[in-house]
Amino acid sequence: MTDKKPDPRRPDETFEPFEETRRIPWPVYSIAIALAIWGVIMLVQTSTAVQVADKTQEEVTKEDSTKLAQAAAPDLDAGKTLFADNCATCHGDAGEGVAGAFPPLHGSDVVKLGGAKAVTHIVMRGIGGKLNVNGDGYEGQMPAFGSVLSDTEISEIASYVATGLNDDAKTISAPEVADIRKVAGDKDPFDGGAGLAGLINDLPAQPNSEAADQGADSERVAQLVGKGTDTVWACASCHGDKGEGIETVPRLAGLPAPYLAKQLHDFQRGTRFNDSMAYVAKGLSDREIGELANYYASMSSPSGAKPSLQGDLKRGAQLAKQGDWSIGVPACFTCHGPSGVGVAPNFPGIAAQQPSYVAHQLAMWAGGARHNSPLGLMAGIGKALNDSDRRAVADYLASLAPMPAMDKTELAAMESNIPVREGVDQ
Amino acid sequence: MNRYLPLAITALAILALATLFLVIAPGMQISAQGPSQGLKPYTEAEARGRAVYVSMGCLYCHSQQPRSLAQAPDAERGWGRASVAGDYAYDDPHQLGTMRTGPDLMDIGDRLPSQAWQLTHLYQPRAIASWSIMPAYPYLFEHKDKAGPDDVVVKLPAKYAPKSGVIVAKQDALDLVTYLQGMKRQYAPPKDGLRDNGYALIAEKQRDATDATTASN
Repeated sequence: MTDKKPDPRRPDETFEPFEETRRIPWPVYSIAIALAIWGVIMLVQTSTAVQVADKTQEEVTKEDSTKLAQAAAPDLDAGKTLFADNCATCHGDAGEGVAGAFPPLHGSDVVKLGGAKAVTHIVMRGIGGKLNVNGDGYEGQMPAFGSVLSDTEISEIASYVATGLNDDAKTISAPEVADIRKVAGDKDPFDGGAGLAGLINDLPAQPNSEAADQGADSERVAQLVGKGTDTVWACASCHGDKGEGIETVPRLAGLPAPYLAKQLHDFQRGTRFNDSMAYVAKGLSDREIGELANYYASMSSPSGAKPSLQGDLKRGAQLAKQGDWSIGVPACFTCHGPSGVGVAPNFPGIAAQQPSYVAHQLAMWAGGARHNSPLGLMAGIGKALNDSDRRAVADYLASLAPMPAMDKTELAAMESNIPVREGVDQ
Repeated sequence: MNRYLPLAITALAILALATLFLVIAPGMQISAQGPSQGLKPYTEAEARGRAVYVSMGCLYCHSQQPRSLAQAPDAERGWGRASVAGDYAYDDPHQLGTMRTGPDLMDIGDRLPSQAWQLTHLYQPRAIASWSIMPAYPYLFEHKDKAGPDDVVVKLPAKYAPKSGVIVAKQDALDLVTYLQGMKRQYAPPKDGLRDNGYALIAEKQRDATDATTASN
C-alpha cells in the first residue's frame, strides 16, 4: 500500500464548505428601514389621536362647568330641548296636549295658577289619579321625573313650561328646585287633582280622590313579599323593598297586573325560563299570583335604574321613539306606550327598567331562550337588534322616568283579564 | 458558536427588559393606585366569609373579573362593568380566577342580593336548577329538630327538605353569604382606573374626537 496521491481531477474530499462574507443585499436594508419608519409613524399617530381626544374631553368638561356657573338663571333653550325629549311625547310639541288623554300645558289653568313652582312639584313627583284641566277630565298618569332629571334640568323644564308655554314671568332656579326636592323629592305621586288642590290655591273643582288603599293587601301577600315562606324566598329580597329591581333583577313596580300574573304562570308552566323564578312560581297558588301581581301593579316607586352599559343614548332614543325600519324594528313606544310607560294588559312599562335586565332579555328573545310574547313580536325585534343596539336601547330606557302605579279601581276592572293557569291543576 | 459571553449577556438583557416592562413598571403603576372611590374595606363578617370562599376553592370555577364589552358580553349577562385595578385594593390574595365553569362573581351582591336564595343554593344548587353542576355544601349547614331563636332556617323545597326538623346555616355559611352580598362593584369606575381594554379605548376616543370635530363644524 502506497500513499494515495490525491487525484487532481477529483474534488478534495476533506474540503469544508464555507460561505464567503457577502454584503446584505440592499432590498433587505430598505425593507427593514421602511418597517421601522412605519412603526414610528403608527406610534405617533395613535398617541396623537388619544391626546387630541383627551383635550376635547377636557374642553367639554370645562364648557360644562362654565355653563353650570352661569346656571343661576335657567336656560330656556335648554328647557325647550328637554321638554321635547321628555314631555312632548305625551303633551305635544307645543304643549297642546291630546284631548281626553293628556292635559294641555299651553294655557293650562293648573300651570297658570301654580306657576313654575307647581310644575316643579308635578315633574318631580308625577301624578297618579284623575284630574281636571281647563274643565276637562283626564286620567292623570304622569311619570315621576325626580329620580331621572337633575335639579338644573327640572328648573329648565319648569321655567320653560311656565314662561315659554304660558305667559308667567316667574322662572325657578336650580337651588329652589333643590329645596323642593328636599321636602317633596321622595313623596308618592300626586293623587290626581285632589292631591294638586293641596299644592295650588284656588284650583277649579277636581274629581274626588281614589287613594289606593294599601291596607287592603292580605297578610299573606305582605308575608310573601317581605319574609317569604318555608320554601320560597321573599320577593323583596331580590326585587328590592320598592320593587325597583337591580341589575338583571327586573323592576316590578307599576307593571300591569295581568302581565305580571302571566309571567308568573309562564314561569310555572315552563314557557318562560328562569330557574329561580320557576322555583318561586311553583310555590305560589293562583290566588297568591293574582294578589302579588296586584300588589306590584299598584306600587309607585322612584327609578332604581341608570344607564350603565355604555350604550349610545342617541341611538337608543331613536330606536325607542322612531324605530329603525332599515332593520325592520318598530319604535318601542308604539306598543309600550309613550315614553315606555306601558299599555295594560299585555305591554309592560319599560321606562326605568334595569338596563342589564332589558339587554339580557333582548338577547334571550333573539336566541329563543325567551319566547312568551304575544304573537312572537319580541323574537323578531330581538333578532334584528345587534349587541350595541340592545345596549343603546336598554340604557336609554333606564334614563326615563317611571310611571306611577294604576289605582285600585282600574286594577279591579282588569282583574277579569288576568289569564288563569291552564293545565291539569285547573 | 464560541462567543458564549456576549450571547449570555444579550439573553439576560432581553430578560431584564421584559421584566422591567411587564413586571416592574406595571407593579409600580398598580401600587400607585389607591382603592377605587366607593369601594369599602371588608367588614369582619365579610372578611371571615372571604376566608371561607378561599378555603372552599371557589376560584377554581368562579372568576372575579368582568371583562370590558370589547372583550366579552359580560355587561349584558349582568355581570357588571369591567373591573379596574383599584377594585381589588383590599383583596390579598386576589381571587381573580381564570375558569368560568360558573358565572363571574364580582357583582353577585347586586345580581342576587337575597340571603335566603344564597343559602338554599349553597345547601343544594339542584333545588333551584336541576342542571346545575355546582357542588352542594351540606357541611356548611346543620340539621336541627327545632330552630333556635337566632338560627337562620334554610328555605327548601319538599324534595330536599329533611323529613323532620329544619336545616339551619352554620356561621361559615352565613359569613360566606355576607361576603357574597357585599360583592357590589357597581360604583362608577375611577377616571384613571387601570385596565387593559385592548383597542376599544383608542377606538372610542377616536370616535369621540370625530364627534367633537363634527359637532364644532
